Amino acid sequence: MAAEPVQKVLFEHDGVFIHPRSDEDAIEQDLLSGSLRIVDKDGDIAVEFRPLEDAVDPSNMLCAGKDSSSVMAWAQCSGSQYQQLSETQHSYETEWDMVNAVSFRRKPCASRDGALNHGHERSRWAFTFCLSDLRSVTVKEEGWTFLLFELKESCTALPALHFHQGGSREFLDGLRRFALLSEATDDDTCLLVSCHNRALCQSFENLLDDNSFGLVHQKFRKDPYVTTLGGFSKVTNYIFDAFRGTEEQHQRPPEEVADLLGEVIQGLEINQQEEPGFEVITRIDLGARPQVTRAEPLSVEDWTQHQDPEGRMTRVPQLKKVIFKGGLSHAVRRDAWKFLLGYFPWNSSQDERKTLLRLKTDEYFRMKLQWKSISDEQERRNSRLRDYRSLIEKDVNRTDRTNRFYEGIDNPGLVLLNDILMTYCMYDFDLGYVQGMSDLLSPILYVMENEVDAFWCFVSFMDQMHQNFEEQMQGMKTQLIQLGALLRLLDLSFWNYLESQDSGYLYFCFRWLLIRFKRELSFQDVLRLWEVMWTGLPCHNFHLLVCCAILDSEKQKIMEENYGFNEILKHINELSMKLDVEDILQKAEGIGLQMRSCKDLPDSVSSILGFEADVRGSDPMDSGSAPAPRASPRRPDTCSDLHGHLRETTSHAVAFMS
Amino acid sequence: MTTKTSLLKVILLGDGGVGKSSIMNRYVTNKFDAHLFHTIGVEFLNKDLEVDGHQVTLQIWDTAGQERFRSLRTPFYRGSDCCLLTFSVDDNQSFLNLGNWKKEFIYYADVKEPEKFPFVILGNKLDVTERQVSAEEAQQWCKENGDYPYYETSAKDATNVAVAFQEAVRRVLAMDERTDHLIPTDTVKLHRKPRSAGTCCS
Repeated sequence: MAAEPVQKVLFEHDGVFIHPRSDEDAIEQDLLSGSLRIVDKDGDIAVEFRPLEDAVDPSNMLCAGKDSSSVMAWAQCSGSQYQQLSETQHSYETEWDMVNAVSFRRKPCASRDGALNHGHERSRWAFTFCLSDLRSVTVKEEGWTFLLFELKESCTALPALHFHQGGSREFLDGLRRFALLSEATDDDTCLLVSCHNRALCQSFENLLDDNSFGLVHQKFRKDPYVTTLGGFSKVTNYIFDAFRGTEEQHQRPPEEVADLLGEVIQGLEINQQEEPGFEVITRIDLGARPQVTRAEPLSVEDWTQHQDPEGRMTRVPQLKKVIFKGGLSHAVRRDAWKFLLGYFPWNSSQDERKTLLRLKTDEYFRMKLQWKSISDEQERRNSRLRDYRSLIEKDVNRTDRTNRFYEGIDNPGLVLLNDILMTYCMYDFDLGYVQGMSDLLSPILYVMENEVDAFWCFVSFMDQMHQNFEEQMQGMKTQLIQLGALLRLLDLSFWNYLESQDSGYLYFCFRWLLIRFKRELSFQDVLRLWEVMWTGLPCHNFHLLVCCAILDSEKQKIMEENYGFNEILKHINELSMKLDVEDILQKAEGIGLQMRSCKDLPDSVSSILGFEADVRGSDPMDSGSAPAPRASPRRPDTCSDLHGHLRETTSHAVAFMS
Repeated sequence: MTTKTSLLKVILLGDGGVGKSSIMNRYVTNKFDAHLFHTIGVEFLNKDLEVDGHQVTLQIWDTAGQERFRSLRTPFYRGSDCCLLTFSVDDNQSFLNLGNWKKEFIYYADVKEPEKFPFVILGNKLDVTERQVSAEEAQQWCKENGDYPYYETSAKDATNVAVAFQEAVRRVLAMDERTDHLIPTDTVKLHRKPRSAGTCCS
């Protein structure tokens, strides 16, 4: 799972001092008191020093580390580029603190041109470095202890830290928890630092030394901000504008700014790792897009032919392939969806499924009783349940009301929709009800026409979609970033166009992704699209290729008409109900094949699509025609476990978020 | 400046289900659909109108009301000229939340002078018989929170919808005139830049 950037403070000691000195004019300055911390930033151990009175909490800052590689890259500029950094800092005054916190190479006495105000003067002394970048610590005594840090790049000079109020021993002990400190042979005051995960650090350094780094690097010199953030998306600019606003107006509490920044950093984590690759590879020739054809939906006869006498499904990979190619005829859906969603194991017998159903029915009604039996009094004291109930009521009244299954007043379909969503709240109270969930349930209930089956199928679908709805919406962010990577590869000029219109973060695809095109297609087309996607074929994240297919059809218009940010959003919103599912599926499959056959496919893309999980060069879609039993089962069909609800699709859905 | 059409961005905010999309649709298309889908993401519609001799294109933004979608909704607040805070007169909670919506808007829209920003308050679903919020309560709130104009609307039967939007436009234009007097023209142009059709929150 892509975790939020968590920072744990492992050690903290106030009353650590820097003795600022001006070499030229020897103006006496006060000792600078601050706080020294050892922090764990998502597994990276870093040391931070912040002078007192620094309004901005360093825990909110980007930190040089594996999760913000570009920041680190920038901070590792050599001395000659250093001058440029300070210029940037002047023109981006408000971001200055942030820049400073990551530029651990700053020489504290280097830029002294008085343009900085007092606050900046102080925060100028703040520094952060990763433990893995620390070469040695020298321990000196002068009536008190002070420490000198030497980083691995020799050009770096950090100010000595004076422990006027003790604590140096504890600090060093803190470091020892994460690194080996050994006395240098020629100087017993000097402790050499070797990191436990040296191999990892080393490989990362090599990565940055690579030629590809140069390109990023240059861009950074021009404008570190735009590069870092632009790489993710322009939505970050909003956030940084907001951040700037704070500085001017002093009206936003810093923790809220931190929240905003946190969101940015979350996004960056994923993206930054890809950035160097994309800087180097400007355009990849994908080759011609293969023409693919769609097939007829699977009939009832076809379906029964795949069942053995005990009711077990046989030749499942081939069956899935047929479903991928043509979908299901409506009469098969009620049975087949249960398997596709993982509610029924493919290899379960009829009897086993009866047992399962009994258990699942009991379990469902037990949970239903839980909310049914809550009195008004109880509910008055349960604001979350009250809110869920109120919103479910409102949304049920606004979901697919033109569909015969949900139309009119007092339609039993509406009651079922309501009850299943309420029961889902009891099933997963942490998530509860989030808008969009009624859209996901409605087609399932329509097909199942049965409360219990619909509930458990919905549970399975929600397992795949869960991250979309969580508090931080990480699923949405991940998908938007992944889609960006695919689009960039598919058509760089279109991608650049979107970026130029501040639309590179693809916000306009939000609704598509949140509820899997539910509002974009006719109800019947949604059924088709979903069953095709649930086969898990022909690759991971096929729905992202569906996005690509739609955008590929619209890009010409968008660019010719020179649509801006608003027009793009409007245009995409207005595609709703004008799309043809078979066209889209055909195109999406073609794009998938095109990418699969591309020899220079960036690793990031092949990991999004799960190509490396396949046998090299084999296409799961090719296997069906050959009788060979090795028919590339990309995801092995999970063995039957009748008591546990099967989640074979889940691991697939989150595979790229870890 | 009066000869040119200005683009004004207004945004509808309020709890889920108070009728934001219905108000927008009633105003722009003069249609009402009792079973309109709840909004996912953000949408906007344009409407041309003339107010006191000024040609105006209103760009009306509609958002998803649930708290969960805050981070994906708030970037669109920036550049708004007016905010229509909406509640439903048959839902007391939606009325109680007005203050939160106002706060959220000011916070994310980067409003320079929050106390002068033109908010208009809409109490929707006037057609519903069982009220939970009285007109007096609502007026009291508006008075205490910045002397905002208050309209009781019904997207269903079109009551007061157009009037409320016109008032919103008037408030924005009044703000403009005030600024025009105070600030040299080139600065005003800078400020008005988002109005040159097509861009808004970029």
